[in-house]
Amino acid sequence: MASISVPMPGVQPAPRPKLAEYLRWSVDHKIIGVQYMATAFFFFIIGGALAMLVRWELLTPALDASGTGSAYNSLFTMHATIMIFMWIIPMFAGFGNYIVPLQLGAKDMAFPWLNAFAFWLLPPAGVLFLLGYFVGPAETGWTAYPPLSVLFSGDGQTLWAISIHIAGVSSILGAINFIVTIKNMRPEGMGWFQMPLFAWAVLATAIIQILATPFLAGGLTLLILDRVAGTAFFDPSRGGDVLVWQNVFWFYSHPAVYLMVVPGMGILSEVLSIHSRKPVFGYKMVALSSIALALIGFTVWAHHMFTSLTPQLRVPFMITSFIIAVPTGIKIFSWIATLWGGKIRFTAAMLFSIGFLSQFVIGGITGMMLGAIPVDIHLHDTYFVVSHFHFVLFGGSVFAIYAGIYHWWPKITGRMMNEFWGRVHFAITYVAFFFTFFPMHLAGMQGMPRRVAEYAPEFQTLNVIISISAFVLGISTFIILANMIWAIYRGKVAGPNPWRALTLEWQTSSPPPAYNFKGTPIPFDDPYGYGTEAANAYLAAMEELMTPAAQLKSGRSAGPASASPEPVAGD
Amino acid sequence: MSEITVHESKAPVIHDPQEEARRNDNHKFAMWLYLASEVILFAVFIGGYALFRLNEPEAVHNAHDGLGIGLVSINTFMLLTSSWCMVMGLREIQRDNVRGMLRWLGATAALGTLFVGLQWVEYRELSHLGITLDIASSVEAYGGFGMRFYAPTFFHGVHVVIGVIWCLLVMRRGARGEFSSKRYTGVETFGLYWHFVDVVWIILFTLIYLI
Repeated sequence: MASISVPMPGVQPAPRPKLAEYLRWSVDHKIIGVQYMATAFFFFIIGGALAMLVRWELLTPALDASGTGSAYNSLFTMHATIMIFMWIIPMFAGFGNYIVPLQLGAKDMAFPWLNAFAFWLLPPAGVLFLLGYFVGPAETGWTAYPPLSVLFSGDGQTLWAISIHIAGVSSILGAINFIVTIKNMRPEGMGWFQMPLFAWAVLATAIIQILATPFLAGGLTLLILDRVAGTAFFDPSRGGDVLVWQNVFWFYSHPAVYLMVVPGMGILSEVLSIHSRKPVFGYKMVALSSIALALIGFTVWAHHMFTSLTPQLRVPFMITSFIIAVPTGIKIFSWIATLWGGKIRFTAAMLFSIGFLSQFVIGGITGMMLGAIPVDIHLHDTYFVVSHFHFVLFGGSVFAIYAGIYHWWPKITGRMMNEFWGRVHFAITYVAFFFTFFPMHLAGMQGMPRRVAEYAPEFQTLNVIISISAFVLGISTFIILANMIWAIYRGKVAGPNPWRALTLEWQTSSPPPAYNFKGTPIPFDDPYGYGTEAANAYLAAMEELMTPAAQLKSGRSAGPASASPEPVAGD
Repeated sequence: MSEITVHESKAPVIHDPQEEARRNDNHKFAMWLYLASEVILFAVFIGGYALFRLNEPEAVHNAHDGLGIGLVSINTFMLLTSSWCMVMGLREIQRDNVRGMLRWLGATAALGTLFVGLQWVEYRELSHLGITLDIASSVEAYGGFGMRFYAPTFFHGVHVVIGVIWCLLVMRRGARGEFSSKRYTGVETFGLYWHFVDVVWIILFTLIYLI
């Protein structure tokens, strides 16, 4: 009968996933990956709803919908914290968990138990944070600058700190697991520079998590002590120093910005190459630029503090902030060159990747503007900043997440998502996104400060445009959610390799069986080596396997293992 | 699709020596990564103290006069000795001497416990002097010394307590015969942690008591 992990000859329907498997403790990286994604998506909806409330308040210049300024403060604080710590970071952890061991041809992560443990820290952290809302919510924004966060915010601020602490531990443990897995679990024949770029990106992310997150943990510990034990590390009236917090926080949080986008860049490299059937242009540079981002990311933190820093220190940080644009630029140009002359398929995954390319560049350029001292001093704490980081985090990270979902959902569920609705989703999201966040540039440049519930009446036109687009953007999320669920029950059977990719995760059936592969899969010399003899032979075999005739032939019983395509590694 | 049910709760039993060697390597490598993140965490506390030392030498001098160095020197010596015991314990298991290992690790745990005990005694003395964590009850002359002293040393103490518990767990595994000259990564990994805790203390001791 069927052996457990022969790459499926012919296209067979995958069994429906059992919900119960995903609700209990499991050490299977595939289940943990989906658990991460489902948890993250749950918080994405909550965080999105909070953003809708923020936009509802900002429809009019007066303070009305949220009642009090404090209530409004807690809205955007919760929105930001949830989106960063409960959505983007765990969502990428979910992709990493599901995809990285498969891309390495491994049976599982290096430490399956640790992996499960790291995940199960996350839901309690999220619940704790939400409970904080009911005991006097945090009102300081996600940056939690003291003395506001020490002296004035409610007990929810303490719970906020504790829950981020827990999420941080989860992320450090996960990162240790990723680095060990990527270093030690690669199959024979896959050197560092034969590794898929998503794995490179996850490696870079994990380095950031291990080196940066403890910094935040140290800061949070002191913040909690200040709040509950009567210390005054950050209270200047009693000998503390608020700037210490700003330094500690941004020394974590600027690298964390890269932690939130580098995995997305990894997804982009995969999708752009595979959906245009072209090798990645400058593979080595793309791989190393991820590591460069991770390392240079530690040298730029004080550009968030141009208005509070000693003036002499501004220039060095402006210079490093400009330098960090270089690795990003390398990636952007490499992606464009990858697309150039390729056979581009405008699948939903591809569309979102191109969407990322265009919007992230805008976010990157405004980032450079903010990195320039004179511009920053003018624009500090205005809506220009809000616009900038939403272009990077939504136009960048979230678009990449969407691309990743359209790309890998067939692998995860064994069924295709609906491409038509995928394109509709893209069109609505892209346009609504642009009209939500682009006008914020204008409002910011005209002087509208961020984090306010009341604003000058002349900004109302812009804000109404922003709010209405935001509502559309919010609703568009449900299109992809419905599409994902629809795919599980009604989607076309995907087969092992619907996108004709060469990376290892597509060499096993969809969804992969327990322990992923039978034997050790053989990686290609170049994971994106389209056009090589080996790749052509492999894809031709794949093509034959995926035809309806093969489907008929294979019938119920699985064919012999020799029917599976064996890539010829190397020449 | 699959005929085989997989019991996820049980890790697959590994007999392949190569596989086991790799796993051992995994554990040690993971420990090093974990310690890297611990270094950063302590750096925040140490950096915070160092800034204070630079900015308010007066308060630190006053605190030093009250602190005294006798008790903490004994304590430091004990912690260093415990690290040495750890090394000896590892050496014994590499020679396949389980009893010897248990004896040395027992000494490690005992010294670690004594360290925490003496630290508590010192905390009591300091609080009588008026050096407290809560800045409101701290004596003026010491300024913000109290909180900057207690936070890192207490945090370090917690690491020692965790280390002692871990040491006892390693001993239990040793007593059950889970370690031998061919299989001692569990001891080695714990050793890495314990030496790390020791090194952190040397830095804290130098910075807080000596400088």
